[in-house]
Amino acid sequence: MNTTDERIRFDVIVVGAGLAGSAAAMVAARAGLDVALIERGQKPGGKNYFGGAIYTHAIAELLPDFMSRRPPFERPVTEAGFWFLGADGLTRVTVQGGKLADGTPDAYTTLRAPFDLWWAEQAQKEGAFLIPKTTVVDFIREPDGQVVGVKTDRPQGELYAPVVIICEGVNNLLTQKLGLSEHDLEPAHLALGIKQVIALPPETINARFGLPDGDHGLAASVLGNVSLGLPGMGFVYTNSKTLSVGLGVMLATLAEYKLKPYEVLERYLKHPAIAPLVAGGQLLEYGGHLIPEGGYHDMPKLYTGGALVAGDAAAMVNALHWEGTNMAIIAGKLAGETALEAHGRSDFSQRVMAGYAERLKQSFILQDLKQYRRFSQFLDTHPEFMDIYPTFLNDALGDFFTAYGRPKKELFKGILGSLTRRRSLLGAAGDLISMGRAVLGW
Amino acid sequence: MKRNDGFEAKELPAALRETLPDVYVDDLLVSIKYFIDEEHPHLWIEDHAICARCQYKPCLDFCPVNVYTLAHDGKIQVAYQACVECGSCRVGCPYGNISWQLPRGGYGVAYKFG
Ligand SMILES: Cc1cc2nc3c(=O)[nH]c(=O)nc-3n(C[C@H](O)[C@H](O)[C@H](O)COP(=O)(O)OP(=O)(O)OC[C@H]3O[C@@H](n4cnc5c(N)ncnc54)[C@H](O)[C@@H]3O)c2cc1C
Ligand code: SF4
Ligand code: SF4
Repeated sequence: MNTTDERIRFDVIVVGAGLAGSAAAMVAARAGLDVALIERGQKPGGKNYFGGAIYTHAIAELLPDFMSRRPPFERPVTEAGFWFLGADGLTRVTVQGGKLADGTPDAYTTLRAPFDLWWAEQAQKEGAFLIPKTTVVDFIREPDGQVVGVKTDRPQGELYAPVVIICEGVNNLLTQKLGLSEHDLEPAHLALGIKQVIALPPETINARFGLPDGDHGLAASVLGNVSLGLPGMGFVYTNSKTLSVGLGVMLATLAEYKLKPYEVLERYLKHPAIAPLVAGGQLLEYGGHLIPEGGYHDMPKLYTGGALVAGDAAAMVNALHWEGTNMAIIAGKLAGETALEAHGRSDFSQRVMAGYAERLKQSFILQDLKQYRRFSQFLDTHPEFMDIYPTFLNDALGDFFTAYGRPKKELFKGILGSLTRRRSLLGAAGDLISMGRAVLGW
Repeated sequence: MKRNDGFEAKELPAALRETLPDVYVDDLLVSIKYFIDEEHPHLWIEDHAICARCQYKPCLDFCPVNVYTLAHDGKIQVAYQACVECGSCRVGCPYGNISWQLPRGGYGVAYKFG
């Protein structure tokens, strides 16, 4: 920090000490830049929210020795996959394993308040200067639009830096203020995620979920009879001493059908296959957060002179895979590297900032988001993937494995009939083709 | 049916709606920690006359912590203290009739688990 001429100056200002922000701060500070990391919460993590599981590949890119720094993870994800809820049954399609080539688990179940606090501490260890309890409200700009600092809600709260990295999350007011995106995301492209963190003894969690011990954990995406046949998806994560159980439903759907999200969640928690898993648990925390699900087509412009945008603020989420944390971390890292390059060249113009978009294109972030660009559109027009098929799958398997004392031929006719009652076979074939296109990005 | 306020109201089959349990939201709210800014609300209704004309009042439904309720006089009341700052009402009010700011630094929801 340099205060000659009365102005408070840094080399880089990062707005938001979430996953993207602390990553950007870590990279820039490690290279020796003076970094201010501004967070509106009492401390980092208190505003941040997810399902969820954090992917280690992203953390390792910044901190190869992350395990020795004792991250507040819950459990390694040793079993992951889909659960299909029927009227009262449940079909699990999960895989066990989930390790990277070097044997580290690819993901850990996590709670964000402790994790993001730790993540910001790693940035502070590299020398980033954390400024908590401070909300950035606007930018300081040159007449030509070049960003040269931020205004905060503190008295005399103007801070100057030639690069500002905006990591403000899904409510991207500042990104809009800069004109990088022209309007709010639409309710049809935003899912409202809500969950309950439910305390249970670890042995009970192990027994109920078939986990041998606390070094094993489950991450399940739950489809089917979760959101009343409307676009939505549930989740169950086993933490050390708690469960994170929740769901995401499109905001437009809640509005159009006049649904109260907590009633949809309660209905899901009371489902005959879910209720026994959470029975006797104590509610530790309820909450909610938006997920930008529009992906590629909803991304704002990613840079302007003196400013870069990373993470949820730039709609970097792969909704089908619940991947947002890794995109935020890697985008933050790439933004930090771009700030570094700009300082190296003493050039903070659009031309150098554009290198950030180039870096994103080379990474999995833009490649995946581009590949999945049709996916949210697809779910809008094919809600059956969220309901009819998962429910069918569960019911069909239920029939398959039940000894009814009836000829099997009759039984299979019945199974097929239960699908065609819901959707014509031709329609189903067409759905499969368009699903393939949406995922593969054809 | 196309709503006069920009989006389509859709019917949920009554039998399905009946499967939704009643929830006492206060039971959920007690689990959330807040630093409440008593002096500066960060949310308010811009124009109550617009709410009076708003046919479906979706803010009464989608808010995950039931901040918006209907008072006896038919006015929308805003219990901003319970807000978890998700942003749903910022984009979900069809008339853009909710003034939405971030709370002042340090105030608002403070998740312990997240
Ligand atoms: C219900 C749910 C489940 C999810 N599950 C998963 C999952 O299992 N796995 C996964 O990878 N992803 C998941 N995601 C997505 C993931 O959580 C996000 O993509 C990720 O948190 C984005 O990180 P970020 O750093 O961009 O934003 P955030 O984590 O939202 O951080 C933004 C930060 O900026 C601060 N801030 C904002 N504005 C200002 C301002 N003006 N001044 C100062 N500070 C400010 C905020 O307080 C906050 O600390 C889930 C999301 C939700 C909602
Ligand atoms: S706040 Fe918006 S959604 Fe709610 S009643 Fe008023 S106009 Fe309608
Ligand atoms: S921001 Fe979310 S929690 Fe707060 S009032 Fe609006 S809808 Fe409710």
